Amino acid sequence: MNSVRIKFIRGEEVKYISHLDLMKVFERALRRGNIPIAYSMGYNPHPQMVFGLPLPVGVTSEAEYADFELSGSMSPEELMESLNRVLPTGLEVVDAKTKKNKSNIMASIVKASYVVLVCPETNPGIAILRDEIEKFFLQPQIIVKKESKGKIREIDIKPMIYELKVEGIDENGIGPEDGGGQDGGNQGGCGNAWIKKYVNELSGQYPMGANCRVGDLFCLSAMLSAGSAANLKPELPVAAINGAGIPKLDVVKIHRTGLLVGTEEKDLDPMDPGAL
Amino acid sequence: MKIKISDQILQRVEKPSRYIGNEWNSIHKDLKGIQIRFAFCFPDVYEVGMSHLGMKILYHLLNERDDTYCERVFAPWVDMEQSMRANKIPLFALESHDPISQFDFVGFTLQYEMSYTNIINMLDLAGIPIYSKDRTKDHPFVCAGGPCAYNPEPLADIVDFFMMGEGEDIINEVMDEYGLWKVDNVSREDFLNRIVNIEGIYIPRFYKVDYNEDGTVGGIMPVKKEYPRKIRKRIVKELDKTFFPDRFIVPFTDIVHDRIMLELFRGCTRGCRFCQAGFVYRPVRERSAGKLLELARKLEENTGYEEISLTSLSTSDYTDLGHLTEELIKEMEPRKVNLSLPSLRIDSFSLDLMEKAQRVRKSGLTFAPEAGTQRLRNVINKGVTEEDLINSVTTAFYGGWSGVKLYFMLGLPTETYEDIEGIAELGSKVVAAYMGIPREKRGKGLNVTISTSSFVPKPFTPFQWEAQDSIETLREKQRYLKDRIKSRHIIYNWHDAELSFLEAVFARGDRKVGNVLVKAWEKGCKFDSWGEHFKFKEWMEAFDECGVDPHFYANRRRSYDEVFPWDHIDVGVGKRFLIRENERAYGGELTSNCRADCSGCGAAAFGGGICVEQR
Repeated sequence: MNSVRIKFIRGEEVKYISHLDLMKVFERALRRGNIPIAYSMGYNPHPQMVFGLPLPVGVTSEAEYADFELSGSMSPEELMESLNRVLPTGLEVVDAKTKKNKSNIMASIVKASYVVLVCPETNPGIAILRDEIEKFFLQPQIIVKKESKGKIREIDIKPMIYELKVEGIDENGIGPEDGGGQDGGNQGGCGNAWIKKYVNELSGQYPMGANCRVGDLFCLSAMLSAGSAANLKPELPVAAINGAGIPKLDVVKIHRTGLLVGTEEKDLDPMDPGAL
Repeated sequence: MKIKISDQILQRVEKPSRYIGNEWNSIHKDLKGIQIRFAFCFPDVYEVGMSHLGMKILYHLLNERDDTYCERVFAPWVDMEQSMRANKIPLFALESHDPISQFDFVGFTLQYEMSYTNIINMLDLAGIPIYSKDRTKDHPFVCAGGPCAYNPEPLADIVDFFMMGEGEDIINEVMDEYGLWKVDNVSREDFLNRIVNIEGIYIPRFYKVDYNEDGTVGGIMPVKKEYPRKIRKRIVKELDKTFFPDRFIVPFTDIVHDRIMLELFRGCTRGCRFCQAGFVYRPVRERSAGKLLELARKLEENTGYEEISLTSLSTSDYTDLGHLTEELIKEMEPRKVNLSLPSLRIDSFSLDLMEKAQRVRKSGLTFAPEAGTQRLRNVINKGVTEEDLINSVTTAFYGGWSGVKLYFMLGLPTETYEDIEGIAELGSKVVAAYMGIPREKRGKGLNVTISTSSFVPKPFTPFQWEAQDSIETLREKQRYLKDRIKSRHIIYNWHDAELSFLEAVFARGDRKVGNVLVKAWEKGCKFDSWGEHFKFKEWMEAFDECGVDPHFYANRRRSYDEVFPWDHIDVGVGKRFLIRENERAYGGELTSNCRADCSGCGAAAFGGGICVEQR
């Protein structure tokens, strides 16, 4: 059996597709691209593919991953090229490598990083906001209400937050997109190329997207627990801030910048030789 | 002006991918060099419209033209409409996101009468005047086609021109004329004058309707003698030589029919007397198995779909079905592509086929006896016997199937309560057939569903003169049947009689009912075929306020010499034949199918298909 791990991006054009629909998109693209994907045995054969952490509807990502089992020979480079010829606009494979170990991407993800573009209800200035938000996240415990299976539980999200950074839009001089962000680089903050591009297009929208001026927008960049053991959605830390005496924040956009897989020694990029 | 819908809106509506576009195989063109922009509108939501084969064909056909850019438009769901109106976003096309008010043509496909209010709503959302007379040179031409266009009169004041019959040829002829007209830069009226003599074009404003004192139509005459008195539908004679796309748009989200649809043939040989499709699509014309295999291959390569379905009015009547399915399975199985076979008559041959073709969960098999007794089945010319049905289900039960759906119609001409009782009895016999099979040889969990729709008399059928049962009578019949179904293995579903009543009004309506459509829409009627949005009270108020009696259209038996609102439309099948068929219905006489014998319906005038082939 020949396993290949791909890294792909999910752009604005395809951010409203559900995880289930995305798998169908890939299944059909694999067939169009004549990729020799292996199928499960049995009455209803399924293509042998595993995707990383599902991306919530409405979120873009520059770091999505999937593992494919192939039944025939095809090099990772060839697979990437063939697949890119048949993927709809907004989906693009940016890296592909042979995978030797048995771990699958879905089971091994432990951390995810995001940039969340937010709009404060009132804007006392980025310096004050940053100060207040960073102070808030320095607390020993951050309790939020989380709904799961119809029940509302209180949980402490503090241990699930590894990093959190606040950055104003103007600090990065949102200008024309400077490239480089599309295929990795994992740049957090408002400097992220995807965020820059998005903010640039906001003013051209019909109607204007957020109910606030572009200059009021700022970014929270965070690395959070992800995967089957503990998964923290990026909306939750934002929700925690709301109601803490800090101006209420409206989420304008969420963008995923990276995923990390856990190994015995340390957390690695999924395309790192040590993770493959 | 490209409209970008903000995330603020998209994040709050149900199924935002309805409004995104950019699907695989969708066509995006550079506007440079484009002379004609065509908005192909389906007056229902994305998932329904995207499942329609006619739209797939015409979309790709129009986009083959270098001078034309055809885009798709669907009715936004009520949540999206609300956001669009609140934010002053006009109706836009899915590919370019440009407002369709800037287009040259806005074309609607008329698949069912109860989508008419959505047409009005879409025109209004687009900012295009609803009435044809109010449009100027700044507005697109509004055109329409599809099965409901065979009685175009309810939409006569709204649609600028209709295209009758199959669209492949006529739409190109109209585009050619439009290109010339645009260069000449003359009046709007002038364009209509240029196309009025293209066969199949109907321009309502060029025709005047006279009414008799009793409200029936006295006559429909062209206002100038140069205009055709009769408008004949168009057909394509040879399907093998007719354009069929080798790619379909592959949607991101589930649609109703999310698979490759292979159209085996057009028309139907059977002539069930209630079925409009069985008459208006005559004559039967088949695609060759060779051509179908070639199309299947290309479509599979270009879409990556995991399923191919064979679609036609009565798929098992395809003359080369055995060979075609065998070849398809041979080619598609290694590529893990399934074959699905809808609307099959179930005999041992087709069961064998289904075994081979589908890795199906052995649940649903569908049969449509349509009526509960042999007497009534003969009246409607449904050549199915009780024995056929029981044999079929028994074979199916032995084959492991345990779910059966049975479709019937209530309110058919000459129906008595005995016929309705017959439906319940047929259901019991199906249950008995299952119980008669040894436990170890049948599937588990018998599940029989009986569904009844209400008979809607349609133009160009032998029943076009018939009265529809009143809503009260239909409901009483539904109750009667419900009380007669005793078995716990049988589930009974019925269609809303109020909706069928309105369908009957607009199916055979004249120009006077057009105002009712607009009035009902003003009262908030839209998405009428979606139960939760159907507002019967508002509809009845609209009739009242317009001074139109709906019962005159739905519940009145017509005489053979009455002039119909659609008598100036020629579908090939003639009135004299339909009268003969109506008489034969009352005599309980069967009429043989086209393959066995020609009954002289008139479709031979087209000189194509089965009418010219050797029997």
